[in-house]
Amino acid sequence: MSVQNPHRTPRPRATRRAAFYDLDGTLIDLNLLHAVGYILGNLGEWHARLTRLAALAARIPLLYAAERYDRRLLNVELFALFKGVSRDRLTVLGEEYCERILTRHLFQSGLDLLEGNRSAGLEPVLVTGSPDFLVEPLARRLRIEHSAVNQPAYSRGIATGRLCEPIMAGEEKARWCEQWAGRGGLQLADCWGYADSYYDLPFLVALGHPVAVNPDRRLAATARVRQWPIVHFGHPMAVNPLTAWREA
Amino acid sequence: MARPRSPISERNPNELRHEVEARRDLVVTLNGRSEPRLIAYGDDFLLAKLPAGTRVIYPPPPLEELADPDLAIRYALLHPENADPLFAQLNPNMRVTIALDDISLPLPPMQRPDLRQRMLTIVLQTLADYGVDDVHLIVANSLHRRMTEAEVRRMVGDRIFRAYWPDRLYNFDAENRAELVMLGKTDHQEEVWLSKRAAESDLLIYLNLNLVPMDGGHKSVAVGLAPYQSLRHHHNPATLRDSHSYMDPTRSGLHRSADRMGRVVNRNVNVFSIETAINNRMYGGLLDFLHKNEDRFNDWDRARLGTLQWTQRNLSETLRREALRRYAAPYGLTGVWAGETESVHHKALARVFQQYAVPVKGQSDILIVGVPYICPYNVNSIMNPVLVQCTGLGYLFNMYRNKPLVRPGGTLIICHPLRDEFHPEHHPSYIEFFHRCLAETNDSQELERRFEAEFAHNPTYTHMYRYGNAYHGVHPFYMWYWGEPGRQHVGRIIAAGCEQPEVATRMGWEAAESLEMAIAMATADAGSSASITYLHLPPLVIADVE
Repeated sequence: MSVQNPHRTPRPRATRRAAFYDLDGTLIDLNLLHAVGYILGNLGEWHARLTRLAALAARIPLLYAAERYDRRLLNVELFALFKGVSRDRLTVLGEEYCERILTRHLFQSGLDLLEGNRSAGLEPVLVTGSPDFLVEPLARRLRIEHSAVNQPAYSRGIATGRLCEPIMAGEEKARWCEQWAGRGGLQLADCWGYADSYYDLPFLVALGHPVAVNPDRRLAATARVRQWPIVHFGHPMAVNPLTAWREA
Repeated sequence: MARPRSPISERNPNELRHEVEARRDLVVTLNGRSEPRLIAYGDDFLLAKLPAGTRVIYPPPPLEELADPDLAIRYALLHPENADPLFAQLNPNMRVTIALDDISLPLPPMQRPDLRQRMLTIVLQTLADYGVDDVHLIVANSLHRRMTEAEVRRMVGDRIFRAYWPDRLYNFDAENRAELVMLGKTDHQEEVWLSKRAAESDLLIYLNLNLVPMDGGHKSVAVGLAPYQSLRHHHNPATLRDSHSYMDPTRSGLHRSADRMGRVVNRNVNVFSIETAINNRMYGGLLDFLHKNEDRFNDWDRARLGTLQWTQRNLSETLRREALRRYAAPYGLTGVWAGETESVHHKALARVFQQYAVPVKGQSDILIVGVPYICPYNVNSIMNPVLVQCTGLGYLFNMYRNKPLVRPGGTLIICHPLRDEFHPEHHPSYIEFFHRCLAETNDSQELERRFEAEFAHNPTYTHMYRYGNAYHGVHPFYMWYWGEPGRQHVGRIIAAGCEQPEVATRMGWEAAESLEMAIAMATADAGSSASITYLHLPPLVIADVE
C-alpha cells in the first residue's frame, strides 16, 4: 500500500542554492559592541581614545535599551560613535581586528558546517549588521563572495556617523535576501539560513530551511514552536582556526 | 563457582504456563459482557469496549528472573559458548574495546542498576585483574542520536562514568571518517565498515541487551558500530520488504544481510559477545495491573486505573511527559550468555521467544494496535508521526512469526493522537522529511531514489548528529522503510483517535475520531462478520500465527 499524494507535484529545485549566515553570535562568539570598543580604543592619541570610550560608556544604557527593543536603533547609535574617523583608518583597524580578534573567535564547528554546505552546493552568503570594514576582510579569508553589510556614510573620506540605507537589521535582511536571490535566479525556499537572535526572525522566516544557531531564549522558543533545527556551535578554538583550516 | 540453578527446574506446575504451548489461554475472545480493554494511546490509555467476537492476544507473564544477576554474568564469562573464557583471552599488552547497546534498549529504560552497568563492572574488573589498561568503552549508537552525559551516566553508573568519560567512554561517531575503517565486502558486495578503534582492537567485547528477538547477534556489532556506508545495504526498501518478520531472524532479509556483514567482522576482529535476555516486566508496583486481563481486574486494579487516567488527564502536557520519562521499568535478567556471536545469539533467542511467543490460530481481517508514548527512537523525546508510523506499522505489525496477524489486504487500526509535533534537536531531519518529502510521495522506493542521499549527506543534519543530540539525517528514511512490509501487506491503515487528520492523510492513512469510528469504517469495508484481533500492549507479545 503506497500512496502518491495527488495534491502536490514535485517542485523543481533551483540549480543554484545558497546558505545565508548571520555573523555575530552565529559564526563568531563576539558581538558588534566588542568590535566598536576595540576600534574606539585604538583610534588616535590616548586622550582621543579615552574621550571616545567615555562616549561609548555614556551610551551604554541607551544601547541596552536599543538592543532590547530595536536592533536597527542599536546599529544607528553604535555607528554614530565613528563620526569624524577617516575611512582609511577604519579600513586598517578593520583588517587588524579581523586578523587579531575575529579569526580567533570563529566557531570551528561553524566553519566546518560552512565548508560542508559549500561542498553540498550551497553558496555561502553573509548577512550581518556589522560594517563593511569588519566583514570584508573576514569574508575574503572565508572565501565568501557575497555579503550584505552595513555601510557607514562618508563625506570626503570622513565618517559622518550615519549609516547608508538600507540598514541591515530585521526585515531589511529578509528583503536583501529576496532581492539578491531574485537577481541570481535562486529560490529562497531551497536556501538555508543560520542566525542566533530573535531579531533575525524575519530573515529566517524568509528562507526555506531556517536554523537557529546558539539561539537566545526567544529565538529558541520560536524555533521549537516552528520546528526549526537548533544547532549549538561549541567554544571557539584557542588557535586561529583559519590557519588550522588552511593547513588542513 | 557453582552454576546457577536453571530457572526452569525451579518452577512449580502453575508456572509451566511460561512454556509456549501452554499459553492458549492468553488468546481471549470477547463477548457482550466482557470488560472494556485498555489500549495504549500515546501518553494516555484508551478504555474501549471492543465488539463481541474480537480476539485479544495477551502477553505471557514475566519469566522468573535470575536470583543473582552478577553471579550469572560471571558464570557466563567463565563458561562461554564456543570460545575461550574471557580471562583466558587477556594479556596486559592488549587493546580492548567494549561496545554496548545505546538508550534505545530496553523500553522504558530499566531501573538502576542498568544491566549494562552490571556487565561492565564485572568485565572491567576482569580486565583490571589481568592488567589490561588500554580499554575504551563505546556506545554503539550507529546513526542514533548521541546519548547525553546524564543518560550515559545513568546507564553505566557513577563510578565507571567518572573513571572513563569522556576520553575512554564515548558515543560512536559514524561521520568521523578518520575513525572508520572498511573491513571488506560480503559475497553480496555489501561494504562492511566499522569503528576503527573496534576494528584495531585485540579484543572487541559487545555487551548486548535483548528486548525482542530482532536485537542481538551480528546486528549488534555490524550495525551498532557501523556508518551509513554499511547500513544502506540493509536499511532499504528492497531488503526490508523481504523481511517476514523483523522478529523472526530466520525469515528476515535485514538479519540475513547483517549476518553476512557480521561474519566479515568476525573474520577480521576477535569479537566476544555477551548477550542478555530480560523478562517482560515493563510495569511493576502500582502499575502491574497493566499486564492483566481486564476481565480479571479487581476493585484495587480499577481504582489504580482510574487514578492513573485521572492523573494523566489533569497533568499539564509537560508534566505528563516528564512523569513518563522518569518511569523506569523493573525488568529482570532471565539469561546471560557469552562467547562466539552466533552460538550466544542462538541461546539468547530461544529465551527471548520463551518470554514473548503466544500461539495464535489464523489471521484476521482487522488488527488493532495501540502505539504507546515510547519507541526505541524517542527516549526522553517526542513521539512524532514518522515514529508512530514506525512503531505501529513497523514494530507492532511485525510482532509475529510465520504470518502476520492481519490477512493480506486487511485493515490495520493504529490508536494514537497523531499530532504534528517533533523534537527539533533530536529529530531535525524528520521535520523536513515529513513536511517536504512525504508531501510529495510516500512511496519508499521513490523516497530512497529522490531524497535519501541528500539527507544522508546534509551538512546541517550531520553537524547536529556529530555535535548535538540529533538522529542522523537519513534516519527518518529508515523509519519510513521500517513500515514497508506492513505497507505492502495491508490494504488500509486507519489512525484511531487522530487529532490532526492531515497528519494521517500525509502518511497515506485514513483518520477516525475514535476507535469505535475506526472499527465502523473497517467493518463497512470488510463486512459485519469481519474478524478483529487486538494485540494487547503493554508489555510486548509475539504471535506465532498458524
